[in-house]
Amino acid sequence: MTTPKALEETFEAVLFDWRGTAVPDLAADAGSVRRRLEALSRHGVHLFAVSETPVADVDAQLQARPSGPGGLYVCANQGSEVYRITRRGVVLVHRRVATPEEDEALDRAAALVVAELGAKGLAARAVDGGVNRRRIDLIPGLQWADPKVAETAALPTALQKRLAAADVGTLADVVELARLVARRAGLADPRVSSDVRHLEIGLTDKADFARFAASVLADQGVTGSLVLVVGDSFGPVGGISGSDSAMMVEELARAAVVSVGEEPEGAPEGVERLGGGPPRLLEILDAQLARRAAGRVPQVDADASWLVVLPPEPSKERVAEALGSLGNGRAGVRGSVEDRGPGASPLFAVAGLYDDQDRLLHGPIWTDVAIAAARGARVAGGSRAVDLRTGVLVRVDGVDGLRSLRFVSSAHPHAMALRVEAASGSLEPGHLLADPADAGSAPADASSAPADTGSTAGDAGKAARRRGATVVASTGTGSTRLAVAATERRREHGGRTTLERLCAWSAGPGGPEAERRAARQLARARAVGFDALLAAHRREWARRWRTAAVAISGDAEAARDELAARFAVFHLLSAASSAGEAAVGARGLTGGAYEGHVFWDADVFVLPALVALRPRAARAMLEYRVRRLGAARARAKALGHAGARFPWESARDGRDVTPRLVHGAHGEPIPILTGTHEEHIVADVAWAATRYADWSGDSAFLDGPGRDLVVETARYWASRVRLDRSGRGHLYGVMGPDEYHEVVDDNAYTNVMARWNLERAAALLERGERSAQGPRSDEAETWRDLAFRLVDGFVAERGIYEQFAGYFGLEPLVVSDFAHPPIAIDVLLGPERVAGSQLIKQADVLMIHHLVPTAAAPGSLEPCIDFYEPRTAHGSSLSPAVSAALLARAGRPDDALELFRSAARIDLDDVTGTTAGGLHLAAMGGVWQALAFGFLGVRVEPDALVVDPHLPAAWQELALGLRVRGVRVELRASHEDVVVQCAAPLRLVVAGTEVEHPGGTPLVVPTMRAAPGAAAAAVTERSPS
Amino acid sequence: MNEPDLLQRVLAALEPHAAAAVLRVATRLAEMTAAGVEAVHVGRSLPAALVELADRAQVELRAIAGPADRALLAELERPEFNAIVMGPGSDRHGYRPLGPTTRYVAERSTKPVVVVPVTGGGEGPERPFRRLLVPLEGSEPSSRTVLETLLPRLVAGVEVEVLHVFTQETQPRMLDDPVRDLETLGREFLAKHFPSASGIVLRSGVVADAVREHCDERGADMVVLSWSQHRTEGSARVVHDVLRSAAVPVMLLPVARDLGPTALPERQAPAAP
Repeated sequence: MTTPKALEETFEAVLFDWRGTAVPDLAADAGSVRRRLEALSRHGVHLFAVSETPVADVDAQLQARPSGPGGLYVCANQGSEVYRITRRGVVLVHRRVATPEEDEALDRAAALVVAELGAKGLAARAVDGGVNRRRIDLIPGLQWADPKVAETAALPTALQKRLAAADVGTLADVVELARLVARRAGLADPRVSSDVRHLEIGLTDKADFARFAASVLADQGVTGSLVLVVGDSFGPVGGISGSDSAMMVEELARAAVVSVGEEPEGAPEGVERLGGGPPRLLEILDAQLARRAAGRVPQVDADASWLVVLPPEPSKERVAEALGSLGNGRAGVRGSVEDRGPGASPLFAVAGLYDDQDRLLHGPIWTDVAIAAARGARVAGGSRAVDLRTGVLVRVDGVDGLRSLRFVSSAHPHAMALRVEAASGSLEPGHLLADPADAGSAPADASSAPADTGSTAGDAGKAARRRGATVVASTGTGSTRLAVAATERRREHGGRTTLERLCAWSAGPGGPEAERRAARQLARARAVGFDALLAAHRREWARRWRTAAVAISGDAEAARDELAARFAVFHLLSAASSAGEAAVGARGLTGGAYEGHVFWDADVFVLPALVALRPRAARAMLEYRVRRLGAARARAKALGHAGARFPWESARDGRDVTPRLVHGAHGEPIPILTGTHEEHIVADVAWAATRYADWSGDSAFLDGPGRDLVVETARYWASRVRLDRSGRGHLYGVMGPDEYHEVVDDNAYTNVMARWNLERAAALLERGERSAQGPRSDEAETWRDLAFRLVDGFVAERGIYEQFAGYFGLEPLVVSDFAHPPIAIDVLLGPERVAGSQLIKQADVLMIHHLVPTAAAPGSLEPCIDFYEPRTAHGSSLSPAVSAALLARAGRPDDALELFRSAARIDLDDVTGTTAGGLHLAAMGGVWQALAFGFLGVRVEPDALVVDPHLPAAWQELALGLRVRGVRVELRASHEDVVVQCAAPLRLVVAGTEVEHPGGTPLVVPTMRAAPGAAAAAVTERSPS
Repeated sequence: MNEPDLLQRVLAALEPHAAAAVLRVATRLAEMTAAGVEAVHVGRSLPAALVELADRAQVELRAIAGPADRALLAELERPEFNAIVMGPGSDRHGYRPLGPTTRYVAERSTKPVVVVPVTGGGEGPERPFRRLLVPLEGSEPSSRTVLETLLPRLVAGVEVEVLHVFTQETQPRMLDDPVRDLETLGREFLAKHFPSASGIVLRSGVVADAVREHCDERGADMVVLSWSQHRTEGSARVVHDVLRSAAVPVMLLPVARDLGPTALPERQAPAAP
């Protein structure tokens, strides 16, 4: 016999019916329930009781005063009122107030039902019904007035006789009749129920209560299978569904549903019948308390649309580690298994923290657990998954019931936590912190570390030491130390061992000082405790997803698209902190590849997404550039130029850290030219600064710290441009985004971006001069003139740009002659052959249309797509998403979808074979951009948010959440319309229709493309439901 | 005491025209694991030159009777032998790349067969083996097992480097930074197919050319090929091409025991289009 789910799993919330489930009747002593509810509340469990009676009755019976942090809610009057019971008393939190029209309709409905039944020969009587409902007594006789008599089994029989005598069918027929009559009386969604004696017509029922609870819980990051619903009457009674079945709402799909009632006619599918009445509920609550006392590993909602299952094959372990990475923007950890084997590549790192060689500093590993019979990368009979909804990595292993859960707190940025459980004897003590230098070998045993001697920690955490119950270790050198403090608690219960590890990090100069700070951070984390840390972490992720929601529905592949899109957004949200400066490396903190170095990936691919999802994180990314302006100025000066020359690849201090030379397989030197020639990064940084200001509405940024990002870069271009004899400006010896052609003249993308940079800076200068009412300088005028003179390779008669001078003269190859993109065609054909051809690595000219569409020649998008797309190998992870965005914008969403999928699966399918080294953050930024700027056609104009969707046929609906100028916006586009919801007033242009959104209620805007006749259709409000 | 898993005895199949090279390769192979060498010659009597050669090398030499192919295979299948070293053999068409005897043994043996090339063999390697090259396609499901279990019994104290020539399946799709990404790609390829290898070289082009070039540049002493002994499209062609062009000994590690169609091109078979 299997153990009931309700007793075997850990839930974060319990919804239960009051009378019949929690207490046998309204006069019973509820002390035993009260004690358990208050204890569960202390453990953070959220509790919801529903009763048909007024709250005062429930409160008087329950007499609970929980102190939290878990909330106790009582839903009274059949879902019309919700109260929260706190230590101080009962507080109303929600009430459904009937309009006068609804009240009249209820009266009318009750009278009509009584009349209809009377006409059929059944004498019924309207009686007092409570808030938002009317009650009809179907057996008005005195003999049934006593509730105890009314609850006997004789009542249904007696009623059935009355109904049969009056020829009105069964009770179910009466309910159906009442529903029809209520609608006729003007109630749009009448809730009709019966306790056999009475018929109730109301505005609410237990479904409203369940939806309210689901909404409260969703804000806490508690959903689906983390919720337990307990009632006593789910199955049919007298032919009508049990009232508790109304709690089985869509919003609580996957919740465990348990009946403790008798269910004489059986329970509906999905309801586990336990029986036992109120004592059984106490048993269920006791089981939950016991699981918490034992420190059992929490669970995640088993929702496939939010779970990224990691590949189980040992050979893909490092890919799994990258996919299982977690981060909070400041710190990140890879998803290495706790009992990792020699091939593992664990990593704990902090953004922007580099060693003396400008390599990402690897911190002490805090995720190792010594497990008897270590399995290494093998996850026997189980799986590992990242729950994107709540930002945790979970592991379930078939052998000895090993389970684990870890997270890097998004609410407490220095805190991290891990909990593991297994059969007793399986988890060995110690091993709190491991030296990252030993990452490829078995973890070191920190439990044998010496006691604190007060000495400076040695290199790479080798001197992990104990300070009481805390183990501390640090890595790095004197100027940059990364310290981790950890503590562990073991519990034995019922044949299982649980291990709870809390950790905290600190970074900064001085080993001992960093360790002391880490220890202080750990003390704070311990004061909060694991459960509360996890609850706050879930809550923070729920808050993030409210702004950054992404949903895709459609064909079978659409579910994969949705998960991949969420995966991308998850890592974007994890990539940057929202305070200080954020150095977002090409692989974030998900792997050691590229050493955490910052490229244009951050400015052009990640930032545009973050400015719409977490504007403060985008601002922090720009702060990274602002604080390195000095180095950029120095670089420009060293090169004999003015202004600021940002590096292609930068780390701690903003110097260029691009390798100049690497050695090939046979030791041959290979020069790396990106650092010296890929200068478009200069304009990319300026573009990012203006993109942030335009989207966030933080115009003060460009008048303040961001000003020089635009102005100094323009000064660089002004000094970099060379005029030929005819007075035309050129940029000689550059490399565009297409790195197959390494050193070229007049790369169209670079030139157009430089021109845009000059013009935008000139406008900024002039604006500053106007507001300061100072003298007008000549610099802005000079820049405008230079911008005008700068060639861009546009060939008007063909309607396309030449990618660089001489490009059209190269061998006219197309990718399909050799392979299906994406393909690293330089490897296939050799770099020399490719350099002599028109084959390109990635979107280059098309980046003009992507970043600065208004600076592109009008009407050039489609011809450029037609010309360059067949030549684009998409041999860079940055490329497919950009093309997807542009194809969708150009009205070719089905073509766009193929490239979108290519981009969205880069890491999930390890398309590049390099995911082991870390996730491709730029591609993820591109994925979001393709959704927003491509398929939804979103762009910000000075006076409006423009939405112009082009959905592929395979998708029915695409929904995105974003922020524009401080306003939270949710867009839900289908092939017929766009539903727009704004948190505050906002002006939009949706599919050509101007919309003044007042904020609040969603508006439905028909799209003209879907149905020409719909163009004239009015914008309508959508009901809150 | 020898570990039971290590190579016990190497069988050297001597025939007059390649005997010195074969014996030298057998000796080099055996010395890696302190194994012994035993030589055989198929014939009624032992030629004096072979006796003298064996005496000088202090190797026991025996004559065995019967058709050469079956006799050698039967000898190799004796439990004390772990591998055979033999010349490529020849037929009336010359070296293409194996003669019928060597091919017969190679296609049917459950044990490794080391083929010593006629062209590059000469007197055989003068110094101990230091570096082996293992070309890997990356699609052989069982080759990892063979490499991890069988190869370590045969070789020790040498650097084992993998050469992977990109195929249609393994051709990189995207390389953001070719140098850095190829490094990761190579590391992951090894993790998947041959974790104990000391390094990997990634190449494009024709496998046999890459093998030859790499052996020339890096001084590999022996090429190790795992193969299914089947006429499967890719692997048979690769084996054929490498045997044809290699200037160093080639060890063939049988992956499967199934004696299906011959893995090497039939002598009279027309060239594939």
